[in-house]
Amino acid sequence: MSSRIFLAVDPLPLTDSVKPMADIVDIAVNAPGFKTLVAAVQAANLVETLKSPGPFTVFAPNDDAFAKLPPGTIQTLVQNPPQLARILAFHVVPGKWTQTDLQQVDTLTSVEGSPIRIDTSDGFEVKNATVIAADIEADNGIIHVLDSVILMG
Amino acid sequence: MTTTLQRPTLPPSTHEFAEIIHRLEAGGAMLPDTPENLMQIIGIYKAYAVPMDFYWRDLLYIAERVFLNPLPAFKYFLPQSYLDLPNHYAGETADLRVWRGEATAHPELLAFIEKGEVQKKLPKLLHHLWHDRINMEFAEACARAMFWHRGMGGQFDPYLDSEEYKANADRAIRAYFQGNPVMLGLYRLFPDLFVEQVRELSYYANLGLFWEVMAPVFFEMSDLYDEGKITTVPEAMNFLVNGIFAIAGRPIYHHVYIRGECYEIIPKSKGFMWLYEAALPYVEAVFYRTSPFRGTKSYNAQAREVPADQKDFHYGILYADVFPVGSAGIPPTLLMQDMLHFLPPYLVDYYQEHCRGEEDMLIQLGISFQRSMYNVTSAVIQALRTALLYPLDDPNPKHLQANRQFFEAQLDRFRRPEARLRDIQDQSYR
Repeated sequence: MSSRIFLAVDPLPLTDSVKPMADIVDIAVNAPGFKTLVAAVQAANLVETLKSPGPFTVFAPNDDAFAKLPPGTIQTLVQNPPQLARILAFHVVPGKWTQTDLQQVDTLTSVEGSPIRIDTSDGFEVKNATVIAADIEADNGIIHVLDSVILMG
Repeated sequence: MTTTLQRPTLPPSTHEFAEIIHRLEAGGAMLPDTPENLMQIIGIYKAYAVPMDFYWRDLLYIAERVFLNPLPAFKYFLPQSYLDLPNHYAGETADLRVWRGEATAHPELLAFIEKGEVQKKLPKLLHHLWHDRINMEFAEACARAMFWHRGMGGQFDPYLDSEEYKANADRAIRAYFQGNPVMLGLYRLFPDLFVEQVRELSYYANLGLFWEVMAPVFFEMSDLYDEGKITTVPEAMNFLVNGIFAIAGRPIYHHVYIRGECYEIIPKSKGFMWLYEAALPYVEAVFYRTSPFRGTKSYNAQAREVPADQKDFHYGILYADVFPVGSAGIPPTLLMQDMLHFLPPYLVDYYQEHCRGEEDMLIQLGISFQRSMYNVTSAVIQALRTALLYPLDDPNPKHLQANRQFFEAQLDRFRRPEARLRDIQDQSYR
C-alpha cells in the first residue's frame, strides 16, 4: 500500500526512463568503497574500454578486498600497466550476467582468457571470493561486488 | 543465554603425510620448525644469493647482448655495465625495495670475480680456464630445463610459437647477422634454426628476470635473521609468501640490443608476469622435473630408468639423492661448489662438526639446500592457497575442506619413493 502511494507521488521513475543510466565506471566512481579499483582502472588505461557499450559483467573487488593483498602487490602492478590490466581483465566477462543467469553456469571465460569458477549452490561465490552485493545495473553491463581480489590459476 | 562462536574444525586427515598437512593447515611449512633447520636454510639462502646475483646478470647479458653469437667463448665474462646493472628490487633506485643493500653486484661476488678461490688477482682468462669462477653452467642448465619441458603454464610459452613472436625474432635475427651472408644464407636454408635458438634465449631472459627478484629476497632474509627478526621456519616461509605477492606483477620480457638498438622480441606490453610466466613454470620445471643428469641414470630405453612421459620426470631438488648427484660436472654440484664459496661462518662451523667435516661439505650443504627448497616450495603452496583458495581460519567448513584437498593434492607429489619429504623431517638426514 505504502509503496503504491510512494510511486504515485514520486516523479523519479518517469525521469529515470528518459535519462540514461550511469555506465560501469561512473557507478564505481560515485559509489563509496571503490577508490582502489577506480585508481587501478585508470592506471591500466581501461576507463575507455569500461565506458564502451559492452555489455560487460564486472566482478568488482571493493577497497577492503584490495587491502587484503600483501603489501607491495598493488604497488608493483600499478607500476606496470599491462600486467595490471591483465589482472583487471580477469575480473571482467563479456555479456551481461545477472545472479539468476549465473545459476545456470559453473564457469565463465574472462576477458583475460582464464576461466572463472562460479558457485551459486550455497550463497554466491566467484572463485574464492564471495559476492557481497549482486546485480548492480549499469547501462553497459552489470556489477557484482567481491570481498576478495580473484587471481588466475 | 550465551552462545560461543567455535571455529569449525575438520576431522584429521588420513593422508600418508597427515602430520605435514596439519602443519600446513596451521600456517606452517613442510620443513619442521626447529632452530637448526632455520639456521641451515637461511645460511644457504645467503650462500645461494651471491652466485645468483651473477646468474641473473649473466643470463640477461647472454639473452640481450651475446644473443646468437656462434662462438660465445666470452659469454661468462660479464662486462662492467651488467655488474652495475641496478637490481629493480634492491638499493635506492628500486621499484620496490626488497633488500636494503645495494642495487649493483654484491661485494662478495665482486671480490670472488677478482681473486677467485685461489685468492690471487690473475688475468680473468686464467681464472676462467682454471674453472675458478662462478659456475654459470648451472644457470644455463636451469634455463634449458625450462625450455626443454616447455608448457609449464602461463602465456609466455604458447607465445613462443605465435606468428607475432616469430616476426619479432626474425627482425632481430636479420639485424644481428646484417652483412653476414654465411649466417643469413644458413637462416634462409633452415628458417627454424635460429628462431629455436631465440626461444631458448627468451627462457634465459625469463629466468634472469626471475632470479633478479630472488637474490634480494634471500639477502634480506639473511639480514633479518642476523638481526634476530626472523626467528622461526614459518616466519621465513611467510617472508617468501609476501615476496611472491609483492613481486607477482613484475613484467617478464625479452629485449635484445643490436648495434645500440633495442629489439623487443617479447615486449613488456604482452602483460606477462613474474608469478605466472616465470615463478610457477620455474618451480615445476626445475624443482620438480628437470632431467636426469648424465652419469646418474641410464638413458638406455631398455633400462627403463628414465620415464617415457615428460610429466613423470622427477629429478628436481625435491627428489634428488644428493650423494650421486654430487659428482663432478653435474649442474647441482656446480651450484653446490658456487655456494661453498659464500657460506656464512656459522654454517661452515656447523658442517665441520658433522659427518666428514670439510671433506663432504658439498653433500651436507646440498642437503641443507634441499631443506631450504622444501621451504620455498611450502611458500609457493601457501601463496597459491592464499591466491586461489581460502584463509586458514576461514569460518566456512566447505572452504577448509577445499584447502585440505589442495594441500593433499600437493603432497601427493611426494608420495613416490624418491621424494625427500620424509627425510627432511629428521635432523639426522645430512
